[in-house]
Amino acid sequence: MNRYFWILGGFAALVALLAVGLGLNPRDVPSPLVGKPAPAFNLNVLATPDKTLGPKDMQGKVWLLNVWASWCVSCRAEHPVLVEFSKKVDVPLIGLNYKEVRGDGAFDMSKMPADEERKLAFQRANKWLADHGDPYKLTVMDLDGRVGIDYGVYGVPETYVIDKSGVIRMKHTGPITPEILGKKIMPLLAELNK
Amino acid sequence: MTEKRGSFKNWTVLLAISAFSLSLLGTFLVRSGVLTSVHAFATDPRRGIFILIFLVAVIGSSLALFAWRAPKVGLGGRFGLISRESLLLTNNVLLAVACATVLLGTLYPLLIDALGVGKISVGPPYFNAVFVPVMTPLLFLMGVGPFARWKEASIPEIIRTVRWAFLAALVVAIALPLIYGQWSALTALGLLLAGWIIFTAGLNFAQRVQHTRGQQSFLAAALKQPRSFFGMHVAHIGIAVFVIGVTMVSSFQDEKDVKMEAGETVSVAGYSFTFNGVKAVEGPNYVAAQGDFDLAVNGKFQRKMNPEKRNYHSSQMPMTEASIDAGLLRDVYVSLGEPIDRDKPEGAWAVRVYYKPFVDWIWGGCVLMALGGLLAILDRRYRAKSRAAAPIEATVGSQQA
Amino acid sequence: MKRQFLIALFVFGAFFGSTAAFANAATEAATAADPVAEKRLQKLSEELRCLVCQNQTIADSNAELAQDLRREVRGMIKDGKSDQEIVDFMVTRYGDFVLYRPPVKGITLLLWGGPVALMLFGLFALRGYLRRRASQINAEDKPLTAAEASRADALLKEIDQK
Repeated sequence: MNRYFWILGGFAALVALLAVGLGLNPRDVPSPLVGKPAPAFNLNVLATPDKTLGPKDMQGKVWLLNVWASWCVSCRAEHPVLVEFSKKVDVPLIGLNYKEVRGDGAFDMSKMPADEERKLAFQRANKWLADHGDPYKLTVMDLDGRVGIDYGVYGVPETYVIDKSGVIRMKHTGPITPEILGKKIMPLLAELNK
Repeated sequence: MTEKRGSFKNWTVLLAISAFSLSLLGTFLVRSGVLTSVHAFATDPRRGIFILIFLVAVIGSSLALFAWRAPKVGLGGRFGLISRESLLLTNNVLLAVACATVLLGTLYPLLIDALGVGKISVGPPYFNAVFVPVMTPLLFLMGVGPFARWKEASIPEIIRTVRWAFLAALVVAIALPLIYGQWSALTALGLLLAGWIIFTAGLNFAQRVQHTRGQQSFLAAALKQPRSFFGMHVAHIGIAVFVIGVTMVSSFQDEKDVKMEAGETVSVAGYSFTFNGVKAVEGPNYVAAQGDFDLAVNGKFQRKMNPEKRNYHSSQMPMTEASIDAGLLRDVYVSLGEPIDRDKPEGAWAVRVYYKPFVDWIWGGCVLMALGGLLAILDRRYRAKSRAAAPIEATVGSQQA
Repeated sequence: MKRQFLIALFVFGAFFGSTAAFANAATEAATAADPVAEKRLQKLSEELRCLVCQNQTIADSNAELAQDLRREVRGMIKDGKSDQEIVDFMVTRYGDFVLYRPPVKGITLLLWGGPVALMLFGLFALRGYLRRRASQINAEDKPLTAAEASRADALLKEIDQK
C-alpha cells in the first residue's frame, strides 16, 4: 500500500456519505421548538367565536395541535385518519385553522375589510368540517398566520404533540398516515400519559 | 508543462481523473435528490443508486489503477524550490483548494444531516466569504509567476522588477472606489489584485519584447512573440477583468422597488426612469402587458425601455421580460411587477429598476480567458508536424515561455 | 468559476425570481415608504431561506410564507429591532436551516475553518513534496556503488545481447 491509496480511501468515505444521503430527505426541516414550551397564543374558537383558547388552557393534559385549512389538499388526505383517531383515542385534538381566507390565493386581500375576512373564514371552516367530519375537540382561528409563524409552520398540514407541562415533544410535517400514527405518535402519547 | 518538461506526470493524470469524477459527482448530486438545489430536477433516489454504482465503478477503478501504477512513473525534470515550476505547482494547489472548498460547502449540510447532529444550510454568503482568502494568494502569484525563471528563480530580482506595478495597482485600488462614491477594504482588495495582474502582465510583456527585439522596432518584436506567450497574458488579463466585474458589481450595484403611476419618475445611480403607462401587446405565442419607460441621464433623454409581463398561451405562470440597457461600464434595467390594483392594469404598477456597474466585464473576462487558452493551443510549437521538422527551434522555444 | 455561476445565478435568479417576487408585491410596494428600512429588509431577506421553495431567499420568493416573513421583518425593523434580533427570531422558529450563512458554532467549525485549513495543508504538503523531490534527485546524482555498478553492467549486457 503506497500513499496513493489514501485517495482511494477518501473516495470510499465520500461514497459512504452519499449512500447514507440517499436515504435522507433534504427538504425535511426538523423543528427547533421540540423540547421547548409551546408558544403562547390566544385565538378565537370556531364554535364559540367570542371565546378564546390558548396553550395555558390545556395545561395538565397531553394534547395534539393539528394545523389545517380548507384550501389544503393534503389536509383532506389525512382527515379520515384524524377522525378515526378522535373516535378511538382519549387525547384532545385541537385544530389550528391557518390563514383560511388569506392562504387561499383566490382573494384580493387589499379589498377585503377585516370583519368580512373573519366572517368568511368562520363560514368556510365550519362548512369544511361539516362536509368532512370534525375530529377536533375545538378549532381556533389563526386568520393572518402569525401564530403559525411562532410555531414554525411552513407547510400545512402540521401536527404537534404537547405534553402536560405545555412542552412540545414532537412535530410532524405533512399528512398523518396510519403508519406514522401507529409507529410514532401513539407510543409517544402512551409514554407522556403515564 | 508535462509535455514540455516531463514533470508532474502523476499530478496531471490525477487532475484528469478528478475532472471527470467531479462531473460524475455533479450528475449524481443533482439527479439523486440528495441535496436541495436550484440545479436539482427530476430527482429520484432509485436513479441515484444507479448513478452511485456507476460512480464507484468508474472512479474507483481509475483511482485504483492510479494508486497501483503511479509509483512506477519516473520523476521527470528537476527544478529549484523557488522556480516557475514550483510556482505553477502552487497555483495548482490553490485552485485545487478552491475546488475543495466548494465541494466542502456543498456537501457539508449532507454530512451534518447524515451524522444526525442538526440541519444547516450553506448558501452564497458562505461561498463569497471563504473564496476571497483562497483566491487572494492565487491572484497575487499570478502576477509574480511570469517573471520567475524556469528551474531557478530569484526573489529579490522579481521584487525589484514588479514593485512599480504594485504601486500603480495600489493607486488604482485607493482611487477608483472613491470615484464611485464608497470606499471599502474588500472593494479595494479586489481592485488591487486586478490592477496588479494587469500591470505585471503589461510589464512582463514589455520586458520580454525589449529583451528579444534586437534591431527590430518594438511593435515588430511584439507581434513576433509566440502565441502561447500572448495567450498567457490574455488569459491572466481576462481573470483580472473578471475580478473587476465581480468587485464593482457587488460593491456598487443598486436597485429600487417602487410603485409608479403614469408620469412618475424613479432614479437609481443617476439614471432616471419615467413611467408612461402600460399597454397590451400581442406576440407570436403570448399576450403581454408592455411598459413604456423613458431612460434619462442628467435630464437628457437616452432611449425608450419596454419591459413586458408575458402570458404565454401554453403556460399559467406569467414570465417577466426585463428591458436591459447594456453598456461597457454598466447595465441598467427595469422590470415590471404587478399592477397595484389587479383589476386596473392601466393604473399604477409595482416596478423594479436596477443599476449594475461592470457586470458585462464578468462575461468579458471569461471570453478573454477562453481566447487566451485558444491562443496558447494554437502555438506552433505544439504542432506535431512543425515539431518534427524543427527540433532545434523547439528546444530553444521551450526555454522562453 | 463557482463565483461566476453564483453571480450568473443571481442575475438570472433576480430575472425570473422577480416574476415570483411580484404577486402581491403590489401591496408591499404600496406600504414600502422608508428607503433605509427597505434596504435593511432587502439585505436581511437575502440571507434567509424560503422554507417552502427552499431554493430561493425570502427576498426572491413568491410563496405565501415568504411574503408573511417579509412582513414580519419589516414590522420588526420598524420596532427598532437589531439585525441579530431579527435573525434570532427566525432561527428560534425555523432552526439554522433558514440561514443562508451557516452560523459559526461547534458543528460548523470544520466548515468555516476548512478552506483556510485546506490551503495551509496543501501548501505544507507541497513544500514537503518539493523537499523530498529535491533530495531524491540529489540521491540520483550520486555515483553508483560498486555493487550497483556491476548490476547495471550485467543488465546492459543482457539488453545488448537481445
